[in-house]
Amino acid sequence: MFYPVLFLLLLSIVGFYLNKNKSVYLSKNQKLASLPAYYGYLAFLYIFVPAIIIWLGLLIGKSFILQNYLILTLGDSLSIMNSDEINLFMSKVKNLSLGISFGNETDLEKFAAEKIISFDKIFSLLTYLVLTLSSILAFLIARKKVIPNFKSQRTVEKIVNRFIQICSLIAILITLGIFLSLVFETLNFFSYVNPLHFLFGLNWSPNKAFVIDSAETIDKDILRDAFGIIPLLGGTLLIAFLAMIVAIPLGLMSAIYLAEYAPKKIRDFSKPVIEILAGIPTVVYGFFAALVVAPKIVIFGKSMGFEVSSESALAAGLVMGVMIIPFVSSLSDDVINAVPQSLRDGSYALGATKSETIIKVILPSALPGIIGSFLLAISRAIGETMIVVMAASLQANLTINPLEPATTITTQIVTALTGDTEFDNPKTLVAFALGLTLFFITLFLNYFALKIVKKYREIYD
Amino acid sequence: MVNAITTENVNVFYGDKQAINNISLNFLKNKVTALIGPSGCGKSTFLRCLNRMNDVIEICRVEGKISINDQDIYKDQIEVEQLREKVGMVFQKPNPFPKSIYDNVAYGPRIHGFTDKKNEMDEIVATALKKAGLFEEVKDRLDDLGTSLSGGQQQRLCIARAIAVKPEVILMDEPCSALDPIATSIIEELITELKESYTIIIVTHSMQQAARVSDKTAFFHLGNLIEEGDTTKIFTKPDNQKTNDYITGRFG
Repeated sequence: MFYPVLFLLLLSIVGFYLNKNKSVYLSKNQKLASLPAYYGYLAFLYIFVPAIIIWLGLLIGKSFILQNYLILTLGDSLSIMNSDEINLFMSKVKNLSLGISFGNETDLEKFAAEKIISFDKIFSLLTYLVLTLSSILAFLIARKKVIPNFKSQRTVEKIVNRFIQICSLIAILITLGIFLSLVFETLNFFSYVNPLHFLFGLNWSPNKAFVIDSAETIDKDILRDAFGIIPLLGGTLLIAFLAMIVAIPLGLMSAIYLAEYAPKKIRDFSKPVIEILAGIPTVVYGFFAALVVAPKIVIFGKSMGFEVSSESALAAGLVMGVMIIPFVSSLSDDVINAVPQSLRDGSYALGATKSETIIKVILPSALPGIIGSFLLAISRAIGETMIVVMAASLQANLTINPLEPATTITTQIVTALTGDTEFDNPKTLVAFALGLTLFFITLFLNYFALKIVKKYREIYD
Repeated sequence: MVNAITTENVNVFYGDKQAINNISLNFLKNKVTALIGPSGCGKSTFLRCLNRMNDVIEICRVEGKISINDQDIYKDQIEVEQLREKVGMVFQKPNPFPKSIYDNVAYGPRIHGFTDKKNEMDEIVATALKKAGLFEEVKDRLDDLGTSLSGGQQQRLCIARAIAVKPEVILMDEPCSALDPIATSIIEELITELKESYTIIIVTHSMQQAARVSDKTAFFHLGNLIEEGDTTKIFTKPDNQKTNDYITGRFG
């Protein structure tokens, strides 16, 4: 399937050298407006870019052409089928043409399969022919541009510029597409459930939606109490809060130690080691939380006389906290290091000790950046999925007691989209509404974090 | 004539590299001494020995004897914080803390626990700002950030910050090299006023500046002390040919 691309590359490279050689030859007698290589690149781009677009067009149009070709050749036999039957027929015939046979094909289908095979041959031959023709044409145009006063470098840069623009446009469009699909499915969900009931409801029991047969009219009163996001938001914030209680002191203290106190040798060794924590797959943290930490907390809690759930928010929060230590420590370390040495010198020269300098000069100067790192870590904790899927509960519980089970938005998205998924049922559709909510929360946090960090950078620049 | 600081046979090493070769130099009390010499001659390194700012640099090693009031500052009987309370420093680039003007000046007195009373601290801050010739310009906006002042004002704020700790000696490491001519002349006038209360040691690249503000001048070259003496003598009839070449602009 990708041979035509290789073929095109080959043609383009040939074009590059032909054009380059010609311009090298020309440049012996007179000065060219650009370096010879640029006339080569020009030929390369002139040949490759239009041809690859033609190839993509042919690839996309192929099945459409094929279907019409079959309808033309088989005409009468197909005209009695409806569109579903034609689709079935087409996929069966295509399988057959690839050699996948179930032994129950009719003569018509076998005939059609042979037609497809011959069509494929012709089509691929035709593809090469079209590509070659377009390449030759493009090369002839590029060849004419090899004249002393043509600024080929400009043209090449324009084309490359356009190419980069298109790449970034695609990236933006994809992001926009994801966002819009979230929005539309969320609107779809809101046709079942009032947005106010979703955003302010205190009850989360999506299984109530199971009672609804999609064919029947939906009783909105049942749904009223089924999809309240507040308990999930509460659980998410509780677990993120526990995580921050672990991550902020440990991360910040280790950042201060590494940036200000650690000898170079220890710093060079420990910084990468701490960053390895960030490289551990979250699923590993997940089963560490579920299988190691949670039981220990249950045993410890019992010995202290507390009733501890085996799926406590505490276990998930603690382990998540460990996971985000490197975010806090690494970012804080960077901002502490960004405080200019001259401020430290100024403080030392007044007779301040190291700890006075850190507390009174360095930390206040670095504070906005440190807060930015906290916000980024929180948004990471709120969006984290795997640890809570494995270690937190599935059951919604509006509580601030970390020993009780709690569930999070991400966990419920996973639950909604695994197992039976029916996209005409609010039980599944709620995943999109949850996703959109999460998207806005983290967007908001990241925006503020980056804004704060940026403001802080401006002080020293 | 009383010596504020005496140094004997000072050698400074950065790792294996020797930056200062066996320098002995005394600084008179309530006088301005200028250290001059081409870049890399060791004058800043030597200055930073006097309040042990070189301690921060791990590979730096100082040998010899440096005494203030007959106390060897590299011996254990004096803490480095106490030393820096006596020997203040002003840097090449103004480095006010990103705090208010008031807090910048009050920083040192607070650290050394001069007073707990608000009105006494106000007094200390005002006096220091007055001595630095900055009070009139900032008295209505003491809560503004120190970093919001102009370059020359920032440098005077740093001088006020150093004065507020009541030092005996003020070290200045090219204090005007980041300032425009007008701000420079204000600082130079200030230095002349300050020597009534403090001993000042100034490193400078500008020979005119050394000639204008200093009483004594020491010429450094390649880590050696070439010549020292009264400023007028150094700039009119130096004993050493190298000094003569430097001050007449033949090298450096």
